[in-house]
Amino acid sequence: MTVLDRAPRGGRPLTDRSPAPVGPRRRAFTVRRGLGLLAFLAPALVFVAVFTYYPLLKGSQMAFQQWNLYDLRNTPFVGLDNFRTLLANPTFWTVLRNSVVWVVGSIVPQLLIGFGLALLLRKRFRFRGVYQALVFFPWAVSGFLIGILFRWMFNGEFGVVNDLLRKAGVIDTNIAWLADPQLAMVSVIVANIWYGVTFFAIMILAALQSVPDELLEAGALDGAGKARTLFFIVIPFIRTTLLLTVLLRVIWVFNFPEIIYGMTGGGPAEQTHIVTSWMINFTSQGDYGLASALGLIVLGVLVLFTTFYLLALKERDAR
Amino acid sequence: MNRRSFLLGTAGLATVSVTGLSSCSSSGSDAGSSSGGDVTLQMVESLTNPARSQVLQDLLAEFEAANPGIKVQLVSPPTEQADQKIQQMLQAGSGVDVLEVRDLTVGPFANNGWLYDMTADTEAWSGFDELTEQAQKYSKHSDGKTYFIPYGFYGLSLFYRTDLVAEAGFSGPPKTWEELLEQASKIQDPAKNRYGYAFRGGKNGNGNVVAAIEAYVGDSIDRENAFKIQSGQSIFAAPEAQAAVDTYFELFRRASPPSSVAWGYPEMVEGFNNGSTAFLLQDPEVIATISESTSVKADQWNTAPLLTGPSGKASQPVATAGWGVAKASKNTAAAVKLVQFLSGDASTTFAKENSLVPIQKTAGADEFYTSGPWASYVTMTENPDTYLTVVQPRGVAWWTEWSTKADNDVQKVLIDQLSPADLLKGWDAYWTEKWKG
Repeated sequence: MTVLDRAPRGGRPLTDRSPAPVGPRRRAFTVRRGLGLLAFLAPALVFVAVFTYYPLLKGSQMAFQQWNLYDLRNTPFVGLDNFRTLLANPTFWTVLRNSVVWVVGSIVPQLLIGFGLALLLRKRFRFRGVYQALVFFPWAVSGFLIGILFRWMFNGEFGVVNDLLRKAGVIDTNIAWLADPQLAMVSVIVANIWYGVTFFAIMILAALQSVPDELLEAGALDGAGKARTLFFIVIPFIRTTLLLTVLLRVIWVFNFPEIIYGMTGGGPAEQTHIVTSWMINFTSQGDYGLASALGLIVLGVLVLFTTFYLLALKERDAR
Repeated sequence: MNRRSFLLGTAGLATVSVTGLSSCSSSGSDAGSSSGGDVTLQMVESLTNPARSQVLQDLLAEFEAANPGIKVQLVSPPTEQADQKIQQMLQAGSGVDVLEVRDLTVGPFANNGWLYDMTADTEAWSGFDELTEQAQKYSKHSDGKTYFIPYGFYGLSLFYRTDLVAEAGFSGPPKTWEELLEQASKIQDPAKNRYGYAFRGGKNGNGNVVAAIEAYVGDSIDRENAFKIQSGQSIFAAPEAQAAVDTYFELFRRASPPSSVAWGYPEMVEGFNNGSTAFLLQDPEVIATISESTSVKADQWNTAPLLTGPSGKASQPVATAGWGVAKASKNTAAAVKLVQFLSGDASTTFAKENSLVPIQKTAGADEFYTSGPWASYVTMTENPDTYLTVVQPRGVAWWTEWSTKADNDVQKVLIDQLSPADLLKGWDAYWTEKWKG
């Protein structure tokens, strides 16, 4: 048997001497075999059903009920009342706008800085491992704790941010960062950028390490400079990872209230709430009906976003 | 057994294990039941912290030594999730015998039928008469039943810097809200990073606004429902309320750090603790924190009684929590015994260790409470005509909703999105509508 005769893994032989194509032998599907497969899948299916889909369905059901912790003996179905209450609340639209600002304002700088860090970390240098560990450390810290730390850092009177700005001569008087709605929004986004850069750096670094050296060498031989190598070789090569990382981060950041809750609690005057931090308000009030309705809205928004995002990518690939 | 049968068997077993795991919560329900004559009580606390849990463990050891045959297993969930955990346990109807009930949770817990009514037990208990009037009052829910016995009280007093007050030319701490505004404004000097008052603009900021209003309507306040005046109107509609909020918000403009719009408990305490602010309205638990301050020495601070309004009166809107028994408990007698033990002499130890106003009448004579920063609390207790004991409607279903709304409104006033007059109108409309049902 020659090398050419040998079939690639799971495929057909490269030479075709027989009159009819011969594929790998397929086992007939029998009921017995089906039951066997089901038995193996069952633990995972049961686990997912009990711990993911049951709570999801239960939560969805609560969205259509008057479900208040104060009186669980009276939880009637109220149709779309919870949704109407939410939509009639003027804060809803502020919260929705804030969610978009929060996601875009956080993810764009995270992607750019994370990319830069990944490019720097790809180069070999002494103590690279230690440096990588330090860069990735924030990802291991709880979001709520980071919120509390940044709350102190941005404190107008005792915070290190004002102290540094004063010492650097940038400001003369303290800035009350968390007392002004716009500045407070900027502050929570800065904290989130610091936190999320790490994830982009990890993902992009892993993707960069998969770019074959031969490809880069070939580019160099063809006279591509650093910028051209980056934009015409590296980025197209890791495009799928980049796009999926952005998709994942959009979903996560949209669903990430911890920093906001720890830093501003959604204030001042509910001006820094995003949808999910606002949801916590309802659960702390015991109104799980409203909270679940808001949860369903979040689910709907994210499903819509993901569908359009993936469709847009597919269309672009097709072109 | 062939290989296929073995694999199928393994998969089946795994399925059963997963299903079994998911039902573990119900199989653990007998944890607190008795076996062989011995009783193991499951006790869950809510406002947990390691030091407090240790004090509680020591007291429980005393209880176990005095009651052979009863063991107590203390469960201490993290504070942020504790009430939710307790709720889940109560809803499941198992796994809890004795629990910490707060004035904020007693309403929903009792309304859902999760708490055992201890009325008959407390009536038969001689120790009940040893409790202060305040403790007896708070052990009765709005429906007249006893669902928990308080272990202590959190009440406001004015922490002040003796040195800064003297430097500013005042002979003593302020007694009224107006005097506080005057003294705090004089002490305020942002250039030196020195501020008059540690203003609470963040979470629970509404509490101090209400305290000011309650002081101003001291002559007409309904003591059983401190959000009403005796005519039946809300305190927010009372003519004196406007002057109260004007004075209070003036404190922010003239005598507080600008960033205190967002200040909650930690920032306020830190502001006083690091020497930046001269006045702080806080609960007695802060005494322990300030006593350990490295910036403010012992002779530089003290506490004064709550500030009075033009009527010369102040209302003490206290917060409380205590020990109750789950209705689903299978060991009610032992559980009640434990609650009575913790509400006896043990409560004074617990109150001292956790900086709480005690529930035992005899504790008032204890030197610990009659000297130093605690003396102002004794002063308030000894002058009930000036410092009125009032009950706020904290057990109502909408209390947390109210608190969130009120905090937002306070911040809106601070950032000039709402006028104090509109704040009062809104609060009056809110409560009037809720009371109408």
